[in-house]
Amino acid sequence: MTKTADGIEVEGTVTECLRNATFRVELPNGHIVLAHISGKVRKNHIKILPHDRVLVELSPYDLTRGRIRYRYRS
Amino acid sequence: MNPAHPNSEHPAPGADDPAVVVTRISDTQWHAVDDDRVVGSGDASRRPDGRLFVSVDAWHDAVFDRLAAALSADLPEPLHTVTDEADQDTTAAWQRAGFTTVRRERGYRIPTDPRATGLGPVRPPAGVTIVPAGRAEEGPLRALDRIIHAEVEAGIGWPAMPAQVLPRPARTTVVDPARYAVARQDGDYVGLLRVAPAGRPRIGLLAVRADHQRRGIARALLAHALESMHRDGTAWAWADVAESNPAATALLEGIGARCAGATLELVRH
Repeated sequence: MTKTADGIEVEGTVTECLRNATFRVELPNGHIVLAHISGKVRKNHIKILPHDRVLVELSPYDLTRGRIRYRYRS
Repeated sequence: MNPAHPNSEHPAPGADDPAVVVTRISDTQWHAVDDDRVVGSGDASRRPDGRLFVSVDAWHDAVFDRLAAALSADLPEPLHTVTDEADQDTTAAWQRAGFTTVRRERGYRIPTDPRATGLGPVRPPAGVTIVPAGRAEEGPLRALDRIIHAEVEAGIGWPAMPAQVLPRPARTTVVDPARYAVARQDGDYVGLLRVAPAGRPRIGLLAVRADHQRRGIARALLAHALESMHRDGTAWAWADVAESNPAATALLEGIGARCAGATLELVRH
């Protein structure tokens, strides 16, 4: 887990794509966060699917929510 | 992009959140800072065709609005952005910033199994052969690519095409010939299909020269590509199609592809 200028970033695995453009992501500690795709990822047309390993920035206001900043190559 | 505003500050226009300061920290990046903490960021990048795309990430609407206003003030219009159609909050935020939707692009999930697509018996029309990916000759492939791009330019134009197939500065999108399967007739290449990347195959471009259309060449290229993926153990492929392209939509839906979402392109003029 790293702390960046933007907040806390952590790797996770997408477990479910939800209807409203959000994703359920499981973190290594077993916690589940609801994450949406960052503007940069969206801008680059990167598709996120279940089982993808992603880098999530956790919201400093609500640690159950986050933003997918990067999708790792499988 | 205009580099004339490095580290320019955008003070709060009102009393809604005066503590947040938006600063342009580089030619392409903006930060919203509240009490020494970055609470939002903006980004701009120019696509190969020259269009300027922007994005904003913020945890609160007020910060998003401030960043969007800063980007709009600092950058020359037109500005483009993309959102997921299902993400109504982000789309509404861009609309508040003066952006309007100009295009809707459907994302399709395509089965590769010939039993699902019905493409098993499909063969190229008489006189046409399919050259598998990796075996196309680079020179003729680039020549075909230039012809197709010129035809699109003279026809519907690239703004109506999916973002991923826009022309490169050198007037060609052929950057990796190994990814193209082509249709050949009498020694000439008349159609092409690009698949990228491996592992999550996406059909990036499927096109046939205007004087060879309506003969089933696109369908034959698609049948070939999907069958190859199926043999390699890939169950699904992906493709993005502009809503304004009914022929491509009909082709994909006719082989069992299902719309898995949509992307909106918004522009501020």
